[in-house]
Amino acid sequence: MRTCHCVSQQQPVTMAGVGFRRWALAVSKGKGSGISALLSGSRAASGVSKDNEVGPCPTTPEEMAAAARKYMMRVEDYKPYSDNGEGYGDYPQLPDRSQHERDPWYQWDHPDLRRNWGEPLHWDFDMYTRNRVDTSAAPVAWSTMCKQLFGFLGFMLFMFYMGEKFPCYQPVAPKQYPYNNLHLERGGDPEKQPEEVKHYEI
Amino acid sequence: MADYREAPLATQPKTLDPNEYFHVSTKMRQAENQRAALRANLKLQYQTQLNNPHRRELIEDPALTRWVHARGNSYPNFRPTFKTSLLGAMFGVVPLVFFYYVFKTDRDAREKQIQDGTLKRKFSLSS
Repeated sequence: MRTCHCVSQQQPVTMAGVGFRRWALAVSKGKGSGISALLSGSRAASGVSKDNEVGPCPTTPEEMAAAARKYMMRVEDYKPYSDNGEGYGDYPQLPDRSQHERDPWYQWDHPDLRRNWGEPLHWDFDMYTRNRVDTSAAPVAWSTMCKQLFGFLGFMLFMFYMGEKFPCYQPVAPKQYPYNNLHLERGGDPEKQPEEVKHYEI
Repeated sequence: MADYREAPLATQPKTLDPNEYFHVSTKMRQAENQRAALRANLKLQYQTQLNNPHRRELIEDPALTRWVHARGNSYPNFRPTFKTSLLGAMFGVVPLVFFYYVFKTDRDAREKQIQDGTLKRKFSLSS
């Protein structure tokens, strides 16, 4: 409750200071949005209703039951994330299963998402869609997959490294120009006899 | 498929789970029935709205609204613990500092080489 915060942090200040402190606390702790919240300290009517908000992590069985009812789950199925300050609140921790694994033949309300209307979404739902992460059964054993992938990568890395160490290329020589190494074209004296350059050996 | 082994990131399909076939207790059946009842209730709500001929607006999904709100408003439930502070530092502070030092040293060495005239400008498509 917001008033509890104010009461517990009382300090000897002026009346104006108290009023300002309360307003600042209300703005920072309040769940408002926009100018209306800043001015009046209340929430806008758009957005989530008070019942559907994410609350703090439930501790007592009554809170767990209320949260399960809010998220439309069975009380036994409802399991919140552990309260370690990571920001989950009372959002349920659903099994980390991708939408790939869901029955393709059942008549889902949203067939592309394989989800029914009103069903609680996984926290990482957008990661587990059918375009993205797939947690379903792999056709080949895990060890085989690891060996194949890392074997191939390791082999390619090793071969590229050896290629860098021992380069292998066509033998090349400096380019050979005709007319005594292009004596006239290089601005040589036409009267002077250039030195004979022989590029062959018989 | 009988020798299929489960692995991290590769789950066991429900049809291969022996508990589905052998150890089915009354409690499990009751649980499944309750889940089916919840599902049927939600289906009824959805189908009523879907097939309503006078409906002109989109059908709002409260589960989706809750999910969006939860994902966007995780700060009220945030608490600086050892783990969260470490994660914040690792993702926010360390890359800045690390890349600053990496780029600075690399560029200073390159500048020094240019000044000394020892920089070899090789023809390379990648850098």
